[in-house]
Amino acid sequence: MKQRLINGLAGIIVAMLLGAVVMFVQGYNPIETYYALFEYSLGDWYSFSTMLRNSVPLVLTGLSASVAFASGPVNLGQPGQLLMGALFATVTGLYLDLPAFLLLPLMIFAALIGGMLWSGIAALLKRWFNMDEFITTLMLNMIADYFTYWAISYPFAEPGAYSPMTPQINRSGWMPEYGHFNSNVIMMLFVIIIVWFLFTKTIAGYEWRISGKNSLFARLGGVQTKKNYMIVMLLTGALAGLAGGLVVMSGPHRFIKDIGANYAWDGVMIAMVANNGIIATVLYGLFFSTLQSGALGMELITAVPSELIMVLQAVIVLLVVAGRGYIDILLRKQAERRKVRERTT
Amino acid sequence: MKIFIGLINGMIAAATPILLAALGGTITYYAGIFNIAMEGMMLGGAFFAVLGSYYSGSWVIGIISAIFGAILLALIFILFSVVLKMDEFITGIGLNLFALGATTYMLRQIFSVKGAFAGPGIIPVPYLDIPLIKEIPVLGEILSGQNLIIYLTVIITIYIHYLVFSTRFGLRLRAAGYNPTCLNTSGVSTARVRVWSLIICGVLCGLAGAYLSLGYVTLFSENMSAGRGWISLAAVILVNGNPLGIALISLVFGFSDGLGLYLQQVLPSQFTSMVPYIATLIALFIYSTRRKERELYE
Amino acid sequence: MRSLIGMLKIIKVFPPNVVALDDVSVKFEEGEIHAIVGENGAGKSTLMKVLFGMLAPNSGEIYYHGNQVNFQNPGQAIANGIGMVHQEILLVSEYTVWQNVILGVETINKFGQIDEKEAIEQVRQQIDEYHFNLDPQALVGEISVAARQKVEILKLLYRNVSVLILDEPTSVLTPQEIPQLFEELRRLRDNGHTILFISHHLDEVLSLSDRITVLRRGKKVGTVQEGETSKSELAKMMVGRNVVFSSIKSESHKGRKIFELKDWTSIDTDGRTRLNSVDINVRSGEIVGIAGVEGNGQHELVNSIMGLYSPSEGSLKVEGMELTNAPILERRKKISFVSQDRGNMGSCLDAPIRENVLMTHHRLNKRFAKFGGWVLNYNEAELLTKEVQEQFTVHMDTSDAEFQSLSGGNQQKAILGRELLLNTPFILLDQPTRGLDVGSIEYMHRQILAMRKQGRAILMLSADLEELFRITDRILVLNRGEIVANLQTEETSIDEVGFLMLEGKHYEAKTD
Repeated sequence: MKQRLINGLAGIIVAMLLGAVVMFVQGYNPIETYYALFEYSLGDWYSFSTMLRNSVPLVLTGLSASVAFASGPVNLGQPGQLLMGALFATVTGLYLDLPAFLLLPLMIFAALIGGMLWSGIAALLKRWFNMDEFITTLMLNMIADYFTYWAISYPFAEPGAYSPMTPQINRSGWMPEYGHFNSNVIMMLFVIIIVWFLFTKTIAGYEWRISGKNSLFARLGGVQTKKNYMIVMLLTGALAGLAGGLVVMSGPHRFIKDIGANYAWDGVMIAMVANNGIIATVLYGLFFSTLQSGALGMELITAVPSELIMVLQAVIVLLVVAGRGYIDILLRKQAERRKVRERTT
Repeated sequence: MKIFIGLINGMIAAATPILLAALGGTITYYAGIFNIAMEGMMLGGAFFAVLGSYYSGSWVIGIISAIFGAILLALIFILFSVVLKMDEFITGIGLNLFALGATTYMLRQIFSVKGAFAGPGIIPVPYLDIPLIKEIPVLGEILSGQNLIIYLTVIITIYIHYLVFSTRFGLRLRAAGYNPTCLNTSGVSTARVRVWSLIICGVLCGLAGAYLSLGYVTLFSENMSAGRGWISLAAVILVNGNPLGIALISLVFGFSDGLGLYLQQVLPSQFTSMVPYIATLIALFIYSTRRKERELYE
Repeated sequence: MRSLIGMLKIIKVFPPNVVALDDVSVKFEEGEIHAIVGENGAGKSTLMKVLFGMLAPNSGEIYYHGNQVNFQNPGQAIANGIGMVHQEILLVSEYTVWQNVILGVETINKFGQIDEKEAIEQVRQQIDEYHFNLDPQALVGEISVAARQKVEILKLLYRNVSVLILDEPTSVLTPQEIPQLFEELRRLRDNGHTILFISHHLDEVLSLSDRITVLRRGKKVGTVQEGETSKSELAKMMVGRNVVFSSIKSESHKGRKIFELKDWTSIDTDGRTRLNSVDINVRSGEIVGIAGVEGNGQHELVNSIMGLYSPSEGSLKVEGMELTNAPILERRKKISFVSQDRGNMGSCLDAPIRENVLMTHHRLNKRFAKFGGWVLNYNEAELLTKEVQEQFTVHMDTSDAEFQSLSGGNQQKAILGRELLLNTPFILLDQPTRGLDVGSIEYMHRQILAMRKQGRAILMLSADLEELFRITDRILVLNRGEIVANLQTEETSIDEVGFLMLEGKHYEAKTD
């Protein structure tokens, strides 16, 4: 456990050093830049709660990916599931005029259904036709992208808008805010606890974990791997869909083009750097949100383009994961050398 | 008739980058590498092509620099997955995201624009008119007048087939995928074969990228590979290797892309853009239902 | 006279704490057949892999033709004339014989193209020279195991290797194929080659070799001349104490039929019949063994009994319950299963030991569920792990440690423990003692016999004929998917069973 912490920190620090070098070479001041970055994301209550609000889609898609990868199914469809969840929630929020205590849960439910539907298609294609979910979820991402683009340009479009978007959802469908603190964070915490409990403490979670590591062994042990596969795909699709719904409900309050941005792919990356661990995913999700939320401030103050953060994130992932493997090798070599010394002295 | 020729030409044009990237993917596939980074390499190639062509005023330099850029990305893949023995899947995804971020970043930094960079300073790769052939009715309009890179692609496809099945490198390449331990104990370093396969993949993906930004259109836009790398991956998986099969599948995908453009007169453009992806799903469907439930041992 | 090869004070450590070779020194002479024997885990393979350049020793020296050498990789060893044929045949099944032979030393023209005709000719010449009887253009995946072994040897001879190292060459052959191999090896020796071979089959070692070196737990016990030793001498050196070679089972009461397999037929996706109307019955208190050359239907039999897929025809009943098409969990209520593939089918290597032991129990026994069957009761899981640890003497650090941190023998014991504690009436064992040291093997046999005494029905597949003759009551022979013989163990012989395994038809004992 400690090893993983050190490995993670080392990867982050080295990546940031590399980023500093790039900045320096281009004529920017790295220290000022990083300071601006963290100040803008964590400096005061406003920034911090913004960072938290922005972390919700990252953490939720990260959990979606983590749970899926750790249980077997290669669900790479979070981008599409997020969009579909966002769309379903938006449509619900546009056409149902109900008080908040009814509309909010209904919209959340719609978001879950949207994501579940999209991942369910891939799951069924695998179940019925043995079509690899790796490819189908990827293709479905593209299809969802274009489908939602069409949906917000034609049937659900805001008339007279200068770019594709839907009208605003009903006021009662907006996630409540307390000061600057957005309640989608509470939703996220709730989900984290449920997912954690499900994955680590239940019999189902046990079966998923073993299936993810060795599905043949699980199958021979009597685990219903096909049923579990379906459940995991639906659950993780729902998580990504929820992320999308919450983005609409706590952000622009309408479906605008590219509302999913890079959240879902970032979520996949987060799952990888967290090695599919639930707690690690949450922590890395918060960290990446810090980087992303601070990027704007960074650009405002020191003019370093915010795209650098995208590169930084990718480098962190590569370094941390590579470092994981390397530390393993180092430790083994150490143990080997120790044994030899024992023998020859 | 004009429509038919237009469709065929559109098919060839759309198929070319997919074919090139898929050939690259095939080489790494044979070597036993799970390579999903064609998308990133293609994107990197597209960017460097524009970079090279703009600053040198020559499309030749553009192509060379595209290949250089893609090889750079391939080297990163090599560093992480072959040298550091990191999981190839993660490396691939990381590389794709890195390429996306880096090209977007450099687009802003170097050309000071957001979104896309176009302009007269970018020298495109020329189209070739073949003197006698262009006179042939119907066929002439297809066989002549294509972009130089397309002609190169035809030659490359044939060469790759020869490389994989008739040369020593090809024998060792496939052995690296079939039984890497055997290859190692036969005195050939599997790691080295894999490194070369990735470099070749880089060259091919770089060329694909150059075609995108200097042939198909003359500009670079953010994320302009637009999922073609993923389609080429699907092609590799579907065909299980064999360069000629790859060529066929790429034409099918190219056709669906071209069909999409054609259908735009009838359907909203978003649906026609979906066509290549739906086509991939259909192809996967056909492949999966023909392949029966594999049994759990040999 | 200077030895051809000298290995001095070799030490090899595998992290984290396995000392595979502990200060081993051996000399090999030119033109001899030298056997290296020892139990599983004694270090025989490791020693040869160090010589061959596959593993780097942590300390020690190697001399070849009087010069010190240090091969960094197999390629260097081969270039110097030393070659190794591994236990798992390392060939590319998708390639032909000639492609496999020339891989790595291909002759090419200036474009890098391989001259196919030339290569096939050269390989054919070598085949004829050594009387190997192979078709250069046959696909390696389609020839027999014995033929594949010949291809491996041919590969080395093609590279002018003079020292041949063979790792357990007879483990993949039937008793009838062994004399042919030995003839070829003797011919090679008479031709001037040096043969080093690893084995733990003492009869073969004594019949083939000139000198024998014995290793035990990473240390060299001694080197003896073939004529100056005996089987029991060698066994004693290998194990350190007297070893019993005869049957150890006692009488037991056999009850009613527990396991009934009838007309079991399996046809694969290419239309080939893998199992043809197989009938197997096992009664309570009975151990039935299945002998057969690998690839004659064993995989299909085991996998279809366990429910990984359904047969084309036939019925399966355990204790009268119809299980032919039942889901796997249903079968597990009646069937315990120890698979031959410890890592892939029998366990989850990177999961904790406790979670490995829990498998199947977690569904079959209500004590592992809390709160309405949803939550896992980790305390009970812990208790179960302790039960397995104590009853089956599994040496582990903590129940949290990864399963792969256990030694091979302990892994197998843990798996056996998990399965036997399911308390099912029928037990299916597939090569249960493969890869284990003599001590662990004896332990497993005792446990299996204890189960027999308890009245359970046991079906055991094994490639080790000695093992079958030690503990089974009946032996069935599987050949090309059919049961060709059903013999009482006491009424048959190893020769007869070996013959049936290969020929599938009636055996006539030689009488002179």
